[in-house]
Amino acid sequence: MVSKKVTIVNAQGFHMRPASTFANALAKYACDVTLKVNGKDVNAKSLMNIIAACIKCGNEVEVVCSGADEEAALAEATAMIESGFGE
Amino acid sequence: MMKGLGASEGYGIGRVMLIVDRELTYTPREVADIDAELERFHGAVETFTANTFEQADAVRKSTGDKEAEILEGHIAIISDPFMKGEIENLIKAHQCAEAAVEQICQMFIDMFTATGDELTMQRAADVKDIRDSLLGILLGVQEVKISDAPAGTVLVVHELTPSMTAGIKKDNIVGIITETGSQTSHSAILARAMEIPAVLSVPNALSQLSSGEQIIVDGNNGDVITAPSQEQVDEYTAKRDTYLREKRELEMFRGKPTVSASGEEYELCCNIGTPKDAAKAMEKDGEGVGLFRTEFLFMDRTSLPTEDEQFEAYKTAAVVLKGKPLIIRTLDIGGDKEIPYLGLEKEENPFMGFRAIRYCLQNRDMFKSQIKAILRASAFGDVRIMFPLITAVEELRAGKALVEEAKSDLRASGIAFNENIPVGVMTETSASGVIADLLAKEADFFSIGTNDLTGYTMACDRGNSNVGYLYSPFQPSVLRLIKSIIENGVHAGIPVGMCGEAAANPMMIPLLMSFGLTEFSVSAVSVLKVRKNIAKWTKAEADKVAEKVMAMTTEKEITDYLKSVI
Repeated sequence: MVSKKVTIVNAQGFHMRPASTFANALAKYACDVTLKVNGKDVNAKSLMNIIAACIKCGNEVEVVCSGADEEAALAEATAMIESGFGE
Repeated sequence: MMKGLGASEGYGIGRVMLIVDRELTYTPREVADIDAELERFHGAVETFTANTFEQADAVRKSTGDKEAEILEGHIAIISDPFMKGEIENLIKAHQCAEAAVEQICQMFIDMFTATGDELTMQRAADVKDIRDSLLGILLGVQEVKISDAPAGTVLVVHELTPSMTAGIKKDNIVGIITETGSQTSHSAILARAMEIPAVLSVPNALSQLSSGEQIIVDGNNGDVITAPSQEQVDEYTAKRDTYLREKRELEMFRGKPTVSASGEEYELCCNIGTPKDAAKAMEKDGEGVGLFRTEFLFMDRTSLPTEDEQFEAYKTAAVVLKGKPLIIRTLDIGGDKEIPYLGLEKEENPFMGFRAIRYCLQNRDMFKSQIKAILRASAFGDVRIMFPLITAVEELRAGKALVEEAKSDLRASGIAFNENIPVGVMTETSASGVIADLLAKEADFFSIGTNDLTGYTMACDRGNSNVGYLYSPFQPSVLRLIKSIIENGVHAGIPVGMCGEAAANPMMIPLLMSFGLTEFSVSAVSVLKVRKNIAKWTKAEADKVAEKVMAMTTEKEITDYLKSVI
């Protein structure tokens, strides 16, 4: 299991478009990806769970990957969040 | 009369067509053949996806990309493996597909609603729309055909859903009334994009109105007039015709240069607050950006934005503007705007305190990173730097020195930027107005911020009802300062713009033309109106008006006169 803490930087947080891009990008990995945020565990491959978690700009999120390709998944997931999803 | 929320401008006179929600009832049953039921669910998802793709396509053609994106979001939602998996799990536990879809959708609707967050709660409306479509497919219930609505129809619905709008023929629908929705809801966005007058949040509209009755929709005021008298029909027909004529007249100014009746050319730019607004400015036919407020980059977060983050935002705007001017105002922050991580102390008198250029010059690292980000963006367009709240020449000099420092840093790192980037002053203090001649020698341009200029000059807080009456850019004192700033700029051969609200005021426009203003910067929605107003005046007429106004003694005298000539 690997994990890293990152901060949400795009102004609107994890709204529809970023959540959708994020979940889609992670679908290709075999490992489980979980976002630990505001005391909740969120399935990062599910757009709906991400939206329900209501993750806002400035929130600190711990990305936890567990499985065969965990390193690659963690790298891509954190890079996407840190880049603010290009917004 | 019924009252709602005017969410899309215009007047519609027509006959009601009630769109009652489909009867989507079923009796939950236990299924024996799980595979067959899963098959039925997957079939429904496939049909839904195909229908939605088609609708998105239709909406893209009739309305626009943004509206089509909403529908494409529905496909993203139904493709969510977790959501699909949960529905399948219920079916595997012998529930019928209808019950499984309904339960899981309801679970998400409840979760989204419980957040209390506006953006997330709006997604609940999307899930409802998806649920109803899926149930409709599973139950074989047809949707009411909005596309069959005859000419002159006023649609009355509980909520205008993205899938409904796909069927709307713009020529036939003259108005929309809904029972729910706010200015930012799907219903409002879609109605505005289709340019159909709409009144939202009219309680019990469906039960109070009946199909076929005559009705008037006033999208400007949020009024719905039931059983209108002949006088009312005539009155609103006239209002509608005037509205449409004025709209058409404004449209004639789209894509045209901004010129006076005697041929003087002006620049007509927009004020924006985010890189996204730059696209809106272009869409509304702005000729550039006269004021890009950078505060958004610093708000709603917990630490300073990095130079790279800022660069990306400025570059995005510069790229969207395709070489048109982009004036970026450096951080205008201070005691009145709350940014917790800056650790600013509460001040007795924030407007006279530690803000804008004053704060930036004492926080050089932060300021330099913003200037470097702006310089880097200057490699991607006609980017200019503007310092807010200048009151003395030293401040301009210190700011320019920092720009030079930032330039040599970038040069050393081999990063591209415009060596000749213009550096200008936002003249928004009385002090800057009085020393405009001195500033003009060292600034590359001026931009007059009339809101603060009026407040500082009249020493009055517009929000204070006891003194608010003093707040007017038509006060002789404010007009004299404006005139002096413009004339000193013109004398020094530098461009002078105005980015305050007054620039869009039809009464101010002839004065500014006469004083010699070169650029008007207004909100995107005002661009065409201002262009039309500028086209009304010849320079000689504007001069005559200005000469009279400058000889007057009181604000009332001035505004009474200007009202009589516009």
